[in-house]
Amino acid sequence: MNESDQKPIIILEDVCKFFGDFQALRNINLQVKKGERVVVCGPSGSGKSTMIRCINRLEEHDSGKIFVDGRELTSAVKDIDAVRREVGMVFQSFNLFPHLTAINNLMLALKLVRKTKKSEAREIAMRFLERVHIPEQADKYPSQLSGGQQQRVAIARALCMNPEVMLFDEPTSALDPEMISEVLDVMTDLANEGMTMIVITHEMGFARNVADNIVFMDCGQIVEMKPTDEFFENPESERTKLFLEQIL
Amino acid sequence: MSDLIAWSDDYFWGAMVVLKIFAVSLVMAVAFGLIGATAKLSKSSIANKIASAYTIVFRGVPELLVILIFYYGSAITLTSIGRVFYPQTQFIDIAPFWAGAFAIALIVGSYATETFRGAFLGVDPGIVEAARALGLSNLHTFFYVRVPQMWRLALPSFGNHMLSLMKDTALISIIGLEEIVYVAEMATAVTLKPFTMYMIVALIYLSITTVITLVMMALEKHSNRHLEGAL
Repeated sequence: MNESDQKPIIILEDVCKFFGDFQALRNINLQVKKGERVVVCGPSGSGKSTMIRCINRLEEHDSGKIFVDGRELTSAVKDIDAVRREVGMVFQSFNLFPHLTAINNLMLALKLVRKTKKSEAREIAMRFLERVHIPEQADKYPSQLSGGQQQRVAIARALCMNPEVMLFDEPTSALDPEMISEVLDVMTDLANEGMTMIVITHEMGFARNVADNIVFMDCGQIVEMKPTDEFFENPESERTKLFLEQIL
Repeated sequence: MSDLIAWSDDYFWGAMVVLKIFAVSLVMAVAFGLIGATAKLSKSSIANKIASAYTIVFRGVPELLVILIFYYGSAITLTSIGRVFYPQTQFIDIAPFWAGAFAIALIVGSYATETFRGAFLGVDPGIVEAARALGLSNLHTFFYVRVPQMWRLALPSFGNHMLSLMKDTALISIIGLEEIVYVAEMATAVTLKPFTMYMIVALIYLSITTVITLVMMALEKHSNRHLEGAL
């Protein structure tokens, strides 16, 4: 590894976020290096989602600082759009554009944001659909695809923008059990190729396989952050132990 | 019958005027509706208030009065401005075509504002988030994601607005636009056959509105194509 690989690509410093009177994030400090895979877990309502949504500013943090690839997230529109081009996001409920076919879902941002020519955008899109193993579904609409297929299209849509970092917000929670593995397989491939990833998931098998570090959150705080093996073998806090007992 | 043949040219050109005014005011009404709905849904309370005032006024005043007030109001204003520069000015008006088109576009736009507002609220916010997360600008998100989604929900009511818009064109004869109602008035004065002359107008309108209805049905089918064969 050279020196640039050691530099954190995502830095959160003392980030706080309020929804009205409710404090969703309490002094979050987190650093993610290029190529690192971080799995975030914790009970629902612990602020996991809010935290990663702050990283591409779908939520605005109220205090503290967030840096993505050296750019601080402020209200400057130009910076936000630049950051969003670097950061891909996959949602729990897929959020594909229902009025566009699978391939057009991929091509829309290529054409509008990357200003790629149509023929070239189609080629790129097709390549990424092949990568998630569904080139044959290119001309179907999202409603004609299964949940697992939709989520794979959504992953391809984020990937074809060539992001530096991928955020996954419970990508398999809305899926039927038999479709979970096809999505996790795609994510594992991605991790093996060296993509920087932050993944919120309850799939502890996947976490054990793929993650470098595991973050455990509760009540808007990071309770524990440890290398994967250590996290499972030797959790420190009582809260983490209890959570692991329930989930494993 | 020979009376009808004698007036057929006038009816034809009158019908062309009706179609032209429909096309022009349709474009404007959609624009007013989109702007109005966006203003109503914006966080700015000034924009909310202006949009509310717009829909209250134009949905609350009879169409005929809007056209008259708009035409004479603009003519009086323009004439008095004209007299400041050229005291010998007699009368300046906006062409009845444009005054009428603008007036009915404002009216139908105020109804469309409410329709579009409701339809925008029906768009899944997750899809808008996905667009933002991909780096699409606000404007791109609006035209490529929110409007196409909203459109499907708005179409059934919007079909009604298109029919109202078409029928409202009949009112513009009052400010002297030479469309088919105006032609029928002239023809009645000459031939003394009001029933025949107005019946022709009714049939022309009915055939145009039938076409609009068929087009709307096709559009609805097209806008729901992504739901065919849904799992």
